[in-house]
Amino acid sequence: MIWIYLLFLVALGAAAFLGGRELARRRAVGAKPHSRPGQHGAYALIWVAAPALLVLILLSVFATPLERQLTAAGTPEAVAALEPFRRDAFFADAHRVGRGEPALQIWERPLAEQLPVEARRMVSIERTLQWGGGLGAILAALIGGLFAFSQIKPQTRARNRVEGWVYGALFVCSAIAVLTTLGIIASLAFDSLRFFQKVPVFEFLFGTQWSPQIAIRADQVGSTGAFGAVPLFAGTLLIMLIAMCVAAPIGLLSAIYLSEYAGRTTRAVIKPLLEILAGVPTVVYGFFAALTVGPILRVFFNEIGLFLIGGPLDGLGQYLALVQNQMALTAGAVMGIMLIPFVSSLSDDILNAVPQSLRDGSFAMGATKSETVKRVLLPAALPGIAGALLLAVSRAIGETMIVTMAAGLAANLTFNPLDTVTTVTVQIVTLLTGDQEFNSAKTLSAFGLGLTLFLATLVLNIVAHRIVQTYREQYD
Amino acid sequence: MKFRIFRSAEDQTGSGPVDPTETPRMGGQLLPEATATSKAKATEEPRAYEASDLPGPTVVDSPPVGPIKIAARDVSVFYEGKQALYDVSLDIPDKTVTALIGPSGCGKSTFLRTMNRMNDTISGAKVTGRIAMDGEDINDRSIDPVLLRARVGMVFQRPNPFPKSIYENVAYGPKIHGLVSAKSEMDGVVESALKRAGLWDEVADRLQSSAMGLSGGQQQRLVIARAIAVNPEVILMDEPCSALDPIATARIEELIDELRERFCIVIVTHSMAQAARVSQRTAFFHMGRLVETGDTEDIFQNPRERRTLDYITGRFG
Repeated sequence: MIWIYLLFLVALGAAAFLGGRELARRRAVGAKPHSRPGQHGAYALIWVAAPALLVLILLSVFATPLERQLTAAGTPEAVAALEPFRRDAFFADAHRVGRGEPALQIWERPLAEQLPVEARRMVSIERTLQWGGGLGAILAALIGGLFAFSQIKPQTRARNRVEGWVYGALFVCSAIAVLTTLGIIASLAFDSLRFFQKVPVFEFLFGTQWSPQIAIRADQVGSTGAFGAVPLFAGTLLIMLIAMCVAAPIGLLSAIYLSEYAGRTTRAVIKPLLEILAGVPTVVYGFFAALTVGPILRVFFNEIGLFLIGGPLDGLGQYLALVQNQMALTAGAVMGIMLIPFVSSLSDDILNAVPQSLRDGSFAMGATKSETVKRVLLPAALPGIAGALLLAVSRAIGETMIVTMAAGLAANLTFNPLDTVTTVTVQIVTLLTGDQEFNSAKTLSAFGLGLTLFLATLVLNIVAHRIVQTYREQYD
Repeated sequence: MKFRIFRSAEDQTGSGPVDPTETPRMGGQLLPEATATSKAKATEEPRAYEASDLPGPTVVDSPPVGPIKIAARDVSVFYEGKQALYDVSLDIPDKTVTALIGPSGCGKSTFLRTMNRMNDTISGAKVTGRIAMDGEDINDRSIDPVLLRARVGMVFQRPNPFPKSIYENVAYGPKIHGLVSAKSEMDGVVESALKRAGLWDEVADRLQSSAMGLSGGQQQRLVIARAIAVNPEVILMDEPCSALDPIATARIEELIDELRERFCIVIVTHSMAQAARVSQRTAFFHMGRLVETGDTEDIFQNPRERRTLDYITGRFG
């Protein structure tokens, strides 16, 4: 139904544009018009479309409550006497009957007779609303169009007014993005607040025990649950450090190779390849970590362990022989591989931003390429590279999939890379997947973790962007 | 004869007959000789010079006096197969300032860059011909371009100090070439280089502050100090004053005049006034060819080539 209205409105808009343009042409005869006819047409089009859209948006927001009101107003006594949930069920059935579907329930005597009557009433209310809304929209469009047509005079500044509407429309679009972000922050903050009412902030931030399970019966073991997030922060930090140990040197060196050493053809091949690596979904890296890297590392350490058992390092051997697939090292290493293209492409851009004149200056002094890189380019690009690394760190902290698949779930407070650890993001996933009760501290703790994570990455991003920015301004 | 380029206002308003031996006038004014010829040819169609109708290396140019530092023979340069320089043969005397002049894109900077093999750093660049420095072919395989560049310093169009301290900038060359070992020795090298570049008095109390904080003229003198800190034999300057104001330019020109006593200096410049002021030898390039070379005075007063005359009198370029 609504499509017919929309189609009609589009036709009306087109008519307004063409008519406005033609009218502007005619009225401009003999005068020196401020705006071109097309701009008058666009202005008329806007005045047709905007009021109609406003009415349609209002209708879609208020139609349901309005319908409810209207339905309630004329409720027959037999129906009004029902309990609220039975009344709702009755109206739902009336709707179904109105649409020609069979009722879900069998209603007893007085109600059964009311059902078709009510169904007809429902249909008529619905119709009324649809027609009313549609006619309202068309009416609004016509009024707007008449107003716009009355404005078509040679001296009207349609050009500037259209520009104003364009500005407004663009502003609204960008405001939507910003407001959504604010909304996300607000919802995170709100739910975190509820969590922190149950668990004190201090305990959350500095407690060293993380076991969010809450028993169903009060007398069960571990009935309280512990929400000390330090093991999660430690796990996140450990995996991030391992990832950066892999990504920073390899990424940076490959960036130096790409920007300073590689010939044009090599660069043309390698750069897109690196970018493909950046486009691999993290789940795929997760497979790679869990099914390839994890077993390889386990076998490697187990073999070393077996070799050491019985020797002077027997204890270490015993430990290594029992190393599991899931460990911080696997997740960290694969995450590092994931971050290599990120680091190298950012650093490559930053090295390329160093002016050629500095390279020339250094070469002209008789410096070799590596001396130039080491003594001139890297010092000059250092702030920018630091910013790039910080951005990579914030990605490492927020990365979820690889760690979920390869690091394990046990919240161990350890810095041993061969142990299984868990991270903030993994815990959020496990806390919120499946059926969860939305009032327990266990579920709400996910929001606390989310907020902490959000704040940490926000600060890192702000610092990193600030650094990269000041660096860019240095040469401009 | 002392070379005066800019005439005073008195001279210009003076109605007396022009002395033919008088200094040539720059800034769009015609040379005395040029006035006659251009009047005679005023009816002639102005025509563009094509590479094809240019003669090859020119007639006998006046040879330089004194020992030759760099001797270039039939030097051609190609960028990605496109020829930028055609068979240039030029002798550059030691302890002299040689100016390379010519319109934009005439190959003078390209030729300058062949002398310290900076074209090697551009991919797709190829140099043919022979360039001998003290009789030794610098393009020979036995010559390491890195060591060559320590002997042939270079100053660029825009000041390009490294984003380091003033001290570090000057110490850069001695450090990478391992010329000095002790810190005190380095201090001495930095000080004497800065003094020779005429910058010491301005920066002595802030050697550790960033070179980026210096003015354009100071930065350019710093870059010159950086170049002379490794004790080069030749200093190449690629339009060293084009980004500077007249006062800074005057200081650099004075400096070039002082440095001439110790180094062989080759300077590319767009300003004919500058070429006349600072150089003793001038080479005029056009469309990738060397048109004419000789003592600066001769080139500016009695150019043998029509194109040279047209260029120095501002008729094209």
